[in-house]
Amino acid sequence: MADLNIEIVTPSKITFSGQAKSISVPGTDGNFQVLFNHAPIMSTLEIGLIKINIDNNKTLFFAAGGGTIEVNNNNVLVLADSLEEVISIDVERAARAMERAKKRIEEKVPGTDLERAQFALKRAMNRILIVEKYLPKDSVNSRL
Amino acid sequence: MATLRDIKSRIKGVKSTQQITKAMKMVAAAKLRRAQESVINARPYARKISEFITHLVTEEDITHNPYIVQREVKNIVYVIVTADRGLCGAFNNNILKEAMRQFSINEASGKGITAHVFCIGKKSYDFYKRREFTIAGSATGIFSSLKYETALQITTELIKKYLDGTFDKVILIYNEFKSIIQQRIVTEQLLPVPVTLNNEEMEKPTDFIFEPGQKEIFNYLLPKHLKAQIWRILLESNAAELGAKMTAMDNATTNAKELIRVLQLTYNKERQAAITKEILEIVSGANAQKTG
Repeated sequence: MADLNIEIVTPSKITFSGQAKSISVPGTDGNFQVLFNHAPIMSTLEIGLIKINIDNNKTLFFAAGGGTIEVNNNNVLVLADSLEEVISIDVERAARAMERAKKRIEEKVPGTDLERAQFALKRAMNRILIVEKYLPKDSVNSRL
Repeated sequence: MATLRDIKSRIKGVKSTQQITKAMKMVAAAKLRRAQESVINARPYARKISEFITHLVTEEDITHNPYIVQREVKNIVYVIVTADRGLCGAFNNNILKEAMRQFSINEASGKGITAHVFCIGKKSYDFYKRREFTIAGSATGIFSSLKYETALQITTELIKKYLDGTFDKVILIYNEFKSIIQQRIVTEQLLPVPVTLNNEEMEKPTDFIFEPGQKEIFNYLLPKHLKAQIWRILLESNAAELGAKMTAMDNATTNAKELIRVLQLTYNKERQAAITKEILEIVSGANAQKTG
């Protein structure tokens, strides 16, 4: 079976570009996986996990902060608002961001952008969750 | 004729100017490397998102979507991006000249279109302030530490004024970073989002599945698209400015070097002339005594 051409772009750089067997993304209407010869689709993405199967023994995990995906003719384009591979997530920073966001939501200081704080909280929790679940136990976190 | 002391003090003056221009060149070169990197990294996203948008546009959008519909243009706003500071060659002037050219085209069309300016960078703000233009908005002093929030603010303001009908068209005029020694002036339409219909007619549009829906995706993506474009042009202009500054300062340093060489030559000649004159005086004095 041939491979998909996958390109993941964030505002600050091209995060991933290459061929893979499949990609799983957190779509707004539910998670879905794209395999070879998937029907053309465009979807918005939620905060969650993006999983790329390079081949049978290599899988990459990314924490995504929302975005969009376009699949057309086995070309996959993901425009992500933010994206980190699981091994490069800074857990301590995520934990700090989570505390900050929680505090902002609880204190309810007038003028705080509640939506933004909740969004930040969700993103931080997503990062932590993904590290806990998918960081290979024997690998060393490159940030530590 | 300049005296020896005059020439010497001029040499000193030129030398210290040369040191300053040299230092400025170094600073620009150091900043440029980072600016160049960030603009090159920002380009793919900006390009891809605008491609994405064109895939999403439908026949219906062209007549109904407020971001795409071509309204009758009464008010047009030019977003003019210059640097905050000078000393970067013709960088700012070129932009302002191009803007003036656009204004005169507008006026010549005789459709009674009012042109507004939105100034980014202190130089363009000062320029239009002096000429008593109506300044629709401005962002100055932003390039010393460029932040994404700035791009957000500018975009929000532009979108708001576009949707409430203050402007019917938004045009960007900025310097694109081509290479360290080259900038290109770009005039681009931001709003309404330019849609090329020809493309769609040529290739049959693909039957996409949309989740949750075409409209939702479009509405989600469009603000992001505009922000990405504004952020990109800020980065482009910043990198281009630093490139222009580096070249300008390099030229200034070379010119100073040449000036010093010429001055030093005059100085040496003058000094030699003075010595010769003195010897001549002594010799003729001695001769006069002998004969006397």
